[in-house]
Amino acid sequence: MSSVVNVEEKLFQNRYKIDAGRPHIRIKDAAVCASACDEKQCTFICPAACYKAEGNGEVTLITDGCLECGSCRVICAEYANVAWEYPRGGHGILFKFG
Amino acid sequence: MAEHFDAIVVGAGPSGNAAAYTMAKAGLKVLQVERGEYPGSKNVQGAILYAQALENIIPDFRDDAPLERHIIEQRLWMLDEQSFVGTHYRSDDYNKPPYNRYTIIRAQFDKWFSSKVREAGALLICETTVENLILDGSHVVGIHCDREGGDVFADVVILADGVNSTLARKAGFHGELSPRDVALAVKEILFLPEETIQSRFNVKEDEGVVIELMGSVTEGMIGTGFLYTNKDSLTIGIGCMLSDFKVNPRRTSPYALLEKLKRHPAIAPLIDGGEMKEYCAHLIPEGGFDAVPRVYGDGWMIVGDSGGFVNAAHREGSNLAMTTGRLAAETVIAARAAGKPMSASTLAAYKRALDDSFVMKDLRKYRRLPKVLESSPQFFTTYPELVNRAARTMFTVDGVDKLTKEREILGSFRVARRLGGLFGDALKLWRATR
Repeated sequence: MSSVVNVEEKLFQNRYKIDAGRPHIRIKDAAVCASACDEKQCTFICPAACYKAEGNGEVTLITDGCLECGSCRVICAEYANVAWEYPRGGHGILFKFG
Repeated sequence: MAEHFDAIVVGAGPSGNAAAYTMAKAGLKVLQVERGEYPGSKNVQGAILYAQALENIIPDFRDDAPLERHIIEQRLWMLDEQSFVGTHYRSDDYNKPPYNRYTIIRAQFDKWFSSKVREAGALLICETTVENLILDGSHVVGIHCDREGGDVFADVVILADGVNSTLARKAGFHGELSPRDVALAVKEILFLPEETIQSRFNVKEDEGVVIELMGSVTEGMIGTGFLYTNKDSLTIGIGCMLSDFKVNPRRTSPYALLEKLKRHPAIAPLIDGGEMKEYCAHLIPEGGFDAVPRVYGDGWMIVGDSGGFVNAAHREGSNLAMTTGRLAAETVIAARAAGKPMSASTLAAYKRALDDSFVMKDLRKYRRLPKVLESSPQFFTTYPELVNRAARTMFTVDGVDKLTKEREILGSFRVARRLGGLFGDALKLWRATR
């Protein structure tokens, strides 16, 4: 399967109210992603591509496009390394159609 | 001293709205808290509305609810890479009011439902995330919100906070979701002129079609795609079990799966020219009977997706959500009338009502289905491929005699599954759904 699908184009259609400087999801311990986790499934399962595998083995997380589904937290069952909260009231994705 | 309510409902989706409406209508002092800017702004569904569950709550909902199209035709397609074999069920019975199901757009529908809740007398606060439940010993006595002075108290708190069930999980009422018990679905809404939709799907004004899709589009994962007709838009989506996404050797992203579905030669002409205006993702609790956690305790009940109330086999969710919300509300109303405390033993009546309703009866009926499908991926890959191959063999006129063709088809099934496998699959499926 080609991975050339541009999810940014899809996310561009969505409406967000970003809570600047207050991401609602956090990687608890970056070292766990870098050294313990080989699969890094968050980097392809996240439907908004918020998780990126970096060249040095680390995983970076930018929550701006987050669709608040919860998949990243649920799939990280082995390491439970995702601290996941909903955004503050009124922030995050604002579905126009849902 | 913070204000005290008879009941607090967390969330303004179908289950929360059903609960808040039912209690407010009965004269209870109800607070409903929603984290979105408006009810619906955080909510995602296919979306099909089954009329009956809502009728039980608001009998005249058809007068002003924002409904897209009533469904007169259900298609089920089995796809391989190039083709599909499908069934269509269309009946003019579905064209006789009152209609039995509709496509809806959730942001609009939830806003409407919420207006009914407020008319009934409930107080709704939006843009407010509930961070934690407030407990006194084991008893839930209120909620802590992300607002200043955000503690509010009530006799009972109804958790309608969606599939992630954040509040009950944080309170330790149940554990984390298992990837085996949830499907991840993504979808897009594509706008097209009403007339284009009507001619492409062979329907008149207000009539609609739903298409469920199985086969190669899920790359062997347990899951389905769907295409629904709204008034002047189409909804197209695909969902697979999260546990399957994890082990898919191709490491396919959900949006790549959706793109592949949109490009399938059987789908592409139907959605051609559609203007994409939103992309959504959502988890669906599909673990069924065995994945339903404890749904009541001292001062609390869980309703809707938060309690795992989805009948995956029949693609039903919002009707279970509304019904569980209503039943929880009726439990509170009856307990108050009898002067009983909102203790676990009182609220056990909610579980009994669930067990007596179609909600738990249906979940029990399909109890074994998730495990059977998990151990039999051939239902989602091998069979759709075989059926398409059989159709191609039979319908291609190429000078080969029909008996030889029949033997070839039977041979392909035997090679793929062996006779024992075929019978075993049929038996397993029958036992899991009877």
